[in-house]
Amino acid sequence: MKRQFSSPWYEYLIVVLIVVVSTMICYFISDLVGYRVLSFVLLFVVSILAFIYGTGPVLLASSLSALIWNFFFIPPHYTLHISNTEDLLMFVMFFIVALLNGVLTSQVRHRESIIKQREERTQALYQLTKSLLEESDVDELKKMIVSGIRKYFHIDSFVFLLEDINAVALKKDDNIAFIPPNEIDAMIDCFNKSESGGRFFSLYKNNRYSYYPMTGSHMKTGMIVLQHQNKFTDDEMQFWEAYLSQISGRFEREMLNSIAQKAFILDESDKLYKTLFNSISHEFRIPVTTILGATDTLMSEEYSVEIQQQLLAEINIASIRLNQLIENLLNISRLESGHLTLRTNWYDFHDLIDKVTNTLKQELQHYNLIVNIPDDLPMIKIDFGLIEQAMHNLLLNITQYVPQNTDILIDVQLSEDVLKIKLIDQGPGFSPDNIAHVFDKFYRGKSAKTGGTGLGLSIVKGFIEAHKGQVIAYNHPSRGAVFEIEIPVEISNINYIEKLS
Amino acid sequence: MNQLEKILIIDDEIQIRRLLEITLSASGYKIFEASTAKDGCVLAASLSPSVIILDLGLPDADGLDVLVKLREWYTHPIIILSVRNSEEDIVRALDNGANDYLTKPFRTGELLARIRAANRKTEGEQEAILVFGNLKIDLARHLVLVKDEIVKLTSTEFSLLALLAKNEDRVLTHSFILKEVWGHHYADQPQYLRVFVAQLRRKIEENPSKPKYLITESGIGYRFRGE
Repeated sequence: MKRQFSSPWYEYLIVVLIVVVSTMICYFISDLVGYRVLSFVLLFVVSILAFIYGTGPVLLASSLSALIWNFFFIPPHYTLHISNTEDLLMFVMFFIVALLNGVLTSQVRHRESIIKQREERTQALYQLTKSLLEESDVDELKKMIVSGIRKYFHIDSFVFLLEDINAVALKKDDNIAFIPPNEIDAMIDCFNKSESGGRFFSLYKNNRYSYYPMTGSHMKTGMIVLQHQNKFTDDEMQFWEAYLSQISGRFEREMLNSIAQKAFILDESDKLYKTLFNSISHEFRIPVTTILGATDTLMSEEYSVEIQQQLLAEINIASIRLNQLIENLLNISRLESGHLTLRTNWYDFHDLIDKVTNTLKQELQHYNLIVNIPDDLPMIKIDFGLIEQAMHNLLLNITQYVPQNTDILIDVQLSEDVLKIKLIDQGPGFSPDNIAHVFDKFYRGKSAKTGGTGLGLSIVKGFIEAHKGQVIAYNHPSRGAVFEIEIPVEISNINYIEKLS
Repeated sequence: MNQLEKILIIDDEIQIRRLLEITLSASGYKIFEASTAKDGCVLAASLSPSVIILDLGLPDADGLDVLVKLREWYTHPIIILSVRNSEEDIVRALDNGANDYLTKPFRTGELLARIRAANRKTEGEQEAILVFGNLKIDLARHLVLVKDEIVKLTSTEFSLLALLAKNEDRVLTHSFILKEVWGHHYADQPQYLRVFVAQLRRKIEENPSKPKYLITESGIGYRFRGE
């Protein structure tokens, strides 16, 4: 209850002044009313003061007014002597009543203020918890905490999360120029020791700031640096600790979340690389084995030209396969890296299909390819390389599953500003259990020819989606499979030669 | 034709150099090799080869700088070798005086064709009438015939076709064609060019969506294929 006597000095001065002024007023009216009435006036003043000031000043006011009443108003005037027994009784009672009045009132007020403060703090903690839950952006959270501390503690503060501390420790963060380096070092030291330190603590007590570690139930999440002028009272300390633990808990959750997420991503990419390595090393070995074997044979003995030609053809096929493999690997790594940037320009889709079918001339030679593109298809804005690769992979995929001497139809239509490409074959179609997985990484249909990594169609999906388009696969109602691509495209206005020439 | 034309290969990959040497020697060329830009420039100056094959990815210098340096005095064809997906580098090289390009991996047959095409221009004078199978282009009279029938072309279409055909088998970049046919203002408007090419194909190609003559080099330019 130390707080009761902790009123500032000026309050004492004010109550003395008020008592003196009241005395002077009483002095002027003392001729009109009896001195006993004046005692009530003074008591009244003391009671009023008790509502405003702390116990100390009120005690002073009641003692002072009792003495003044005695000295100035109880006959004989200007002495402390009281001749009348009745007056003596009055004086003693005045004194006791004034004291009780003052002390009780100020105590009631004090309790009231404690209750009010508690309410405020509960409210503050409630508000904090609520807004900590609602806000998900870390920088916003930091701002919120700083403003909360200013509001409820009237203290300026800085929030350093683990990553900030790491950055600061590496002197990478330029945003901390406002805190002197020795303070930063002290803060980092306190963080490492998980102890509060700085001003008002034994650790670094000569520093200007105080440092409080945010410690959750499992891990340290950062530090809060306070710039406070006065030491926390026990009460305030309690409140601060509650406040701090809320904040620490929130950041801990945030960190645990991001750790879990990272672990998940790592796990996923770990899986990817394992599969990739297994499937790729196998895929590389086959063409390399072919090339080595064929070249060995060619070098070792004299064979007929016919056999030489056959072996050379095998080498040729193996090399093409190797190249295909490298191309797919490069593409999948572009997709996996997560920052695939489109390099779009105006292209004629005829050119694209022409180029793809040219590159796949060998693979397509035993199929009847029907290309259906409207003559007046305007220029469209696409990343030529990506769409070319997507079409290439789709066509190559079809040649792997579809028997030769059948039709493959490429149908291109533009409706509004959506480019629709359909690839329809006359093969076996998708089986019900693989239709959902055709675009999955490493998924390979059961009837696939050997060779291939199961990456081709996932690249198609990635590249089409990079164009904000979509690709679906379904079985044609009569026969065969359909790949259907839809890409929103920009259409060139410059399509009519007459206007230009 | 000279008995043995000299070709200088500047490439840091020994296997590529060996392959080119075997293939090109077998086709009657005399091959010289350099593995660095420095050696390449020295050899080019001392040998004065009739073709230089230059890899853009050299260990000691940027291939483009080497190209620019060579072009200060070297007037014969330079053919660029490059990796895929570097259209910008290729276009820059072509705009800086390279005659043609090939991306690795390439077919040696294709390389031989490019060397022949690059040499053709420097060898003889242009004929007044160019004949490519069914297609006849009369440069003097501004006439184009397909299967002996006159095809009506606008003057811009004719200039475009003539430019490409005169540079048979050579790749011409978008900006080069645009500057030659339309002038400098259109140099960065490949859209216009694509529209004209599409229109030309409809007039001279048997199957416009599978062009025989006007070949697109996506991201780079066009090539007129004679055969």
